[in-house]
Amino acid sequence: MSNAMMTRVRDQLPAAGTRAALSIDLRPLMGGWVNYNENSTGINRVYIDDWEGTPTLRVFGASRPAPIDWGEVAGAAFADGVGGREAVGFTATYDLDFAQVLLAGYLNKRLLVLDAYSMFTDGSGRANYFQRDHFYLP
Amino acid sequence: MKTLEYVRVEDQLPDQVAAPGGILDSANIVGMWFATDKQATGVVRLELRQHEDVLKVRALGAGTVEPYDWGEITATAYGSGVTAVDTMAFSAVYDFGFLVTILAAYAKQGILVLDTFNTFTDSSGRSNYFSREFFHR
Repeated sequence: MSNAMMTRVRDQLPAAGTRAALSIDLRPLMGGWVNYNENSTGINRVYIDDWEGTPTLRVFGASRPAPIDWGEVAGAAFADGVGGREAVGFTATYDLDFAQVLLAGYLNKRLLVLDAYSMFTDGSGRANYFQRDHFYLP
Repeated sequence: MKTLEYVRVEDQLPDQVAAPGGILDSANIVGMWFATDKQATGVVRLELRQHEDVLKVRALGAGTVEPYDWGEITATAYGSGVTAVDTMAFSAVYDFGFLVTILAAYAKQGILVLDTFNTFTDSSGRSNYFSREFFHR
């Protein structure tokens, strides 16, 4: 029986004992993801790459006449369990001049679901808001 | 009128609409939420309350004998858009010392959907993992 610390049953490895940590395979996440809804007012595209085992994200927000490039940030990848080896989810945070945006994404079959939790820091009075977008790999 | 900064259309206020200001009202999300899966191995219960304009969350994880009480922490509340006045989502971060868990959740049609993003900081070799769980009142 492993005596590793836990906060829920799911934290426990199926087999006893500890093991060497291996990096999570980022390939399922990688690519240039396009919003299914071309009229979305949220995120237009997201590019996910692998920088020495760390996922990097580059997001483009919906805007006219051209999408707005948010720049690139490092994220974190997650498997589907403590014994998992393939990435099924990720997080990343954009610290913008006027807002902080937590991106929380996961794969659902061949679909990428991306939730953006936006918190305004500029005193504009805008409400913090949640927005969900769905993406595919063309 | 000052142009507000934005990185997508959704960040902008509609024409002639003022920013709501103030704190989002979490009355519609506070309360006790139970995992819809009675055999859940993840989070089994969430307790949400608003205390002095701050949203608080307490999570309980599935245990073999009794649930693990994660304690109460402050959450960040989110509405459905920049003019929202009611909370429909929240995020929060638990730091357990050996594990950091991000909670990212939203309510929809009477169901609370919780995503957790779990990063181990010990040397147990466990993979960082994602979970998605559903709750009802």
